[in-house]
Amino acid sequence: MNGVAGAHTGSSGQSLSRVAPTMSATEFLLTEDDHMLITRLRRGEEAAFDSLVAKHHGALIRMAMGFVADREVAEEVTQDTWMTVIQSLDLFEGRSSLRSWIFGILIHKAKDRGMRERRHTVFSALESIDDEGEEAVDPARFHQSGERAGHWAFPPRPWDDQTPEKLLASKQAVAAMRRAIDALPPTLRTVLVLRDMEGVESADVCAMLQITETNLYVRLHRARERVRQAVETYLKDRA
Amino acid sequence: MTQSGEEAASEITCREVAEWTSAYLDACAGDGRNARIVLHLAVCAGCEAYVKHIAFVRRLVGLLPKAPEALADPDGLRGAFVARHRKQ
Repeated sequence: MNGVAGAHTGSSGQSLSRVAPTMSATEFLLTEDDHMLITRLRRGEEAAFDSLVAKHHGALIRMAMGFVADREVAEEVTQDTWMTVIQSLDLFEGRSSLRSWIFGILIHKAKDRGMRERRHTVFSALESIDDEGEEAVDPARFHQSGERAGHWAFPPRPWDDQTPEKLLASKQAVAAMRRAIDALPPTLRTVLVLRDMEGVESADVCAMLQITETNLYVRLHRARERVRQAVETYLKDRA
Repeated sequence: MTQSGEEAASEITCREVAEWTSAYLDACAGDGRNARIVLHLAVCAGCEAYVKHIAFVRRLVGLLPKAPEALADPDGLRGAFVARHRKQ
């Protein structure tokens, strides 16, 4: 794992003083915006910190909710994440984006919190690799035997008259999509939130969650398929 | 001997295309599989619709309105940020 983990603190026992508080050789990999922001933060500019919090706080809460069941705990974990960000600014090595680094700290803390609370169900679900089992798409939709085995028996119908923007103009549709996402198990919800909702690059998601690209896409596709089913049901019920 | 489009497309089933759709859309399915999916999509309306559905969902999730979230203790956090700078 890259610098996302490099400045993790707390129960992992990793040191906060591992890296000198100077610009690292890898910081040239940062975007110009990230580079400017980290410089302003290190100078102690409050406006820079406010804008960083305003930009990522909501996403961090949404992420934390995927790891802990209780909203209050999610807020505590997020607050604790910000405190670590403040304390560790000089340790940020620039091997990932600033966002990925902050999300990585949150994931580490949320997992840690889950363990401490003995929330074994959620934690073990996040850690386990159960990707070989269930297929994303209901196997009954495909021919089971004969020449057409493995090909569509009940193919999906095109949504040619729909666009995401049109669908999201309906409050009922938004509520249905939210319910579908909220109902996802943590393993699936986490990858969907990171990749599709927050737009984190696949490689960064893999690094944050310490999963392979194959695992990522198995989980991501299951998550997307469940949301697809919710859209399909919504459109069918509305017709 | 050159394969026809349909022969090449039949080297992958609709079920496999469906399972690999998300990786395909993110250009992470691998070159060989990617080529088989492209050929398959050219002749399979069901898979074409399915791939478009997943692309639709991917975009939809990104566009979902995000509820604004307020900090539980904004003053405490800002205070910690200021204090950190003063210490240095």
